[in-house]
Amino acid sequence: MKRVVDVSIPLGPVHPCWKEPARVKCETRGEKVLSAEVELGYMKKGIERIMRGRPWQEVMFLAERVCGICSVIHNMVFIEGMEAVSGITVPDRAAYLRVVMNELDRIQSHLLANFSYCYTIEHETLAMYLLNTRERAMDCMERIAGVRVNKAYMIPGGVRFDLRDTDRALLLADLAHLEDSVHRYGRMFDTGPLIATRSKGVGILMQEQARIARAVGPTARASGIAEDVRLTHPTYRKLAFTPIVRTEGDNHARIMLRFDEIFQSLGLIRQCLHDLPAGPIRGGGTCGAGETVSRGEAPRGELSYFIRSDEYGRILDIAIRTPSIPNIDACTHHMLPGVTSLADVTSVFVSADPCIACNER
Amino acid sequence: MAIYQEKDLRELKYHILTSARHDRAVRDLAGMLGMGVQPFRRILIERLDMQYLENLAGRYEQWEARGDREDPLDRALGRELFTSYLPMVEPSGMEQIRAEARASVEAGTPPSEAAARARGRLAEVLRP
Repeated sequence: MKRVVDVSIPLGPVHPCWKEPARVKCETRGEKVLSAEVELGYMKKGIERIMRGRPWQEVMFLAERVCGICSVIHNMVFIEGMEAVSGITVPDRAAYLRVVMNELDRIQSHLLANFSYCYTIEHETLAMYLLNTRERAMDCMERIAGVRVNKAYMIPGGVRFDLRDTDRALLLADLAHLEDSVHRYGRMFDTGPLIATRSKGVGILMQEQARIARAVGPTARASGIAEDVRLTHPTYRKLAFTPIVRTEGDNHARIMLRFDEIFQSLGLIRQCLHDLPAGPIRGGGTCGAGETVSRGEAPRGELSYFIRSDEYGRILDIAIRTPSIPNIDACTHHMLPGVTSLADVTSVFVSADPCIACNER
Repeated sequence: MAIYQEKDLRELKYHILTSARHDRAVRDLAGMLGMGVQPFRRILIERLDMQYLENLAGRYEQWEARGDREDPLDRALGRELFTSYLPMVEPSGMEQIRAEARASVEAGTPPSEAAARARGRLAEVLRP
């Protein structure tokens, strides 16, 4: 007679499917996962401690280095926080260019997340198509800011580089190409029968569980929670932004929601380029003393910075809450328990787009 | 025999709990249970994994905003807080403490006193 035993199976910290080191320990009975827990601490940066006591000019560059994948939003949220405490206003043209850069960053991040998922479920063809498409989004950002990652594009009172007319035309052409590609690959994902077997009904996160774990971003929105910080951002409000929500809460919903958000981002960028006002890109101003909580919608969800600065703009205290903290929590403690095949553990974990660098800031 | 692949995570967990936002949540929770901060940190380290601890402040804020809203006794006791938001107590154990508190209120004990006694009982259950 077959004997069913309880086994604790560790995955990682070094695992072919993980982009970064994390150890997930699964308590299993047969193939079924009963519970899971995460061990971290393999890449703790202590970046908040490094930031304290430094002038904002240095912290601005450190903020981007919390996460290489979503560096733009770290730059944006920190700079908007410094602007809030110092009463600095941003010219309209710069505000629109910030949205363009932020949405390009969201596109590349979502493509990378979906690449990772396809790679994890061993659909390498689609994975490589997506990774190739991401390069075009990276090229768009490079054309505007001069570099691919850690761009430091936003500065208090504006942005560093304007968008030239020739670059605008190239950007619009790239957006059309991106839209075609994402449409094709999104349809391949949505209609693939083998993809559906690995994705539909797997790793379900119920709405109540998402609320308890305070899940954010696509992970929460795929479980029916219509929350997005962009709803309260003044520039996004001008663009009449509304979040995309799905209710299935499984791997398939999370990946498809990211595809849908890419189309939404493409629309927002086009709208910004169409409405882009003429004028300066820097308003000027001096960073000073104050205390604030600055929030922004990162590709993975709500990112917040608590900032306290002195009259010289030195950072006295800072606390960063990244979206991966609640999302990895929701994944480990709500999505993984109940998974019926150990082979699905990696795909469920990757579907939440976990960023260990953000988590271990 | 030492198991070399298992790391001692206590120091890392302690560092998580002593950050500014976590410290505020830990102090609130320890005060709620009438415990010292340091013993309560030890309980958290022993009962919760690293990701629960990283998200502790978020879960606590979420409970403050929407947890245990219907029953004042549940709110005072942190029924959902200690079983769902921060699962440190078995639901059956919490139900027993809650039932005792409710019986005490029905026997004429003022609700605040019954809740305080129940929180003391909960602290006893949590202690290692």
